[in-house]
Amino acid sequence: MVNRRVRNIHKSKKLIRVLLEYDDYTKIINSITITGDFFLHPEESLDELEANLIGTKLEKDAVKQKIEKCLNHSEAFGFDSESMTDAIIGCLCGIKLRI
Amino acid sequence: MKKEENEKEIKMSVKFSRIRILETWYNSGPWNMALDEVLMDSVNQCIPTLRLYGWHPSAVSIGYFQSMDEEVDVKNCKHMGIDVVRRITGGGAVLHESELTYSFITKIYPQNIIESYYWICDPVVICINKLGFDAKFVPLNDIIINNKKVSGNAQTRKKNTLLQHGTILLDVNVEKMFSVLKVPSEKVKDKMINDVKSRVMGLNKTFEQVADNLKESFSEKFSAEIIVDNLTVEEKENTKRLVTEKYVSNQWNWKR
Repeated sequence: MVNRRVRNIHKSKKLIRVLLEYDDYTKIINSITITGDFFLHPEESLDELEANLIGTKLEKDAVKQKIEKCLNHSEAFGFDSESMTDAIIGCLCGIKLRI
Repeated sequence: MKKEENEKEIKMSVKFSRIRILETWYNSGPWNMALDEVLMDSVNQCIPTLRLYGWHPSAVSIGYFQSMDEEVDVKNCKHMGIDVVRRITGGGAVLHESELTYSFITKIYPQNIIESYYWICDPVVICINKLGFDAKFVPLNDIIINNKKVSGNAQTRKKNTLLQHGTILLDVNVEKMFSVLKVPSEKVKDKMINDVKSRVMGLNKTFEQVADNLKESFSEKFSAEIIVDNLTVEEKENTKRLVTEKYVSNQWNWKR
């Protein structure tokens, strides 16, 4: 198991920054922090999304599905499920950080 | 008229009998943010609160979802005597210096978020126009004059209470702004400074001029009598407690 730590900055209507740790072999997310100047109501939805993304495979459909499910009852301004997915998947070609 | 349109009309034309006005003047970033949270608990069911305030020392506030280390040059802030604090509202990092900041806290409001921004920004636009400008609201949360941003606004909703706070810029010091806010690279810094200079402006009015007009505009917008009030002992104590427990803590400010 090789744990990779990466980050990505994605410009949607607002800026989304993702800091991610994943298993390089299984591509499973081990931890994730999403930050940015967007709006999300209720705000706690982001904590819930981050918690639910842990254990998810870094594949577009799986990530997008998780986002749509978690933010189903939330209102986001500055990003949508597509751009949030791109921000997360973009980590695969984002900046690799030393653990 | 369709039922939804009728409901929208009702929501947008809400009138209050009174608005509680708090002029809390200049305080630190943590105190300002703590008081906004306290006022969400103490606001009356039918009487909204309009608070007018400034920042001393100057402060950088970051949005609820932002990372302090990613957005703010904290070392430089310390060196320059500038507070740093996380807001309970989303949006971007702001250097609070030459501005009037307002908070509007209410338990009666349009549920639709865009409508509610418009609803509260409208008296802010009226206030600015009373001062001789041609301002307009641009969704989601900006007020502009001739395509230049003069006011940014942010809101949160908790326990059936809405807080919207916003800045009305009196003057802008873009160089100082970029000495405390981080930019992606030094290479683009000059370009970003020039870009912001062309997109942001201050009113070049005094705090008092804007404050007087803002009170009048909220009163007109909601057909409400304005009651200038003071903080209660309990509000002061709760604010003091929240400053210590939350708004100066690393746990909160470095939450992300």
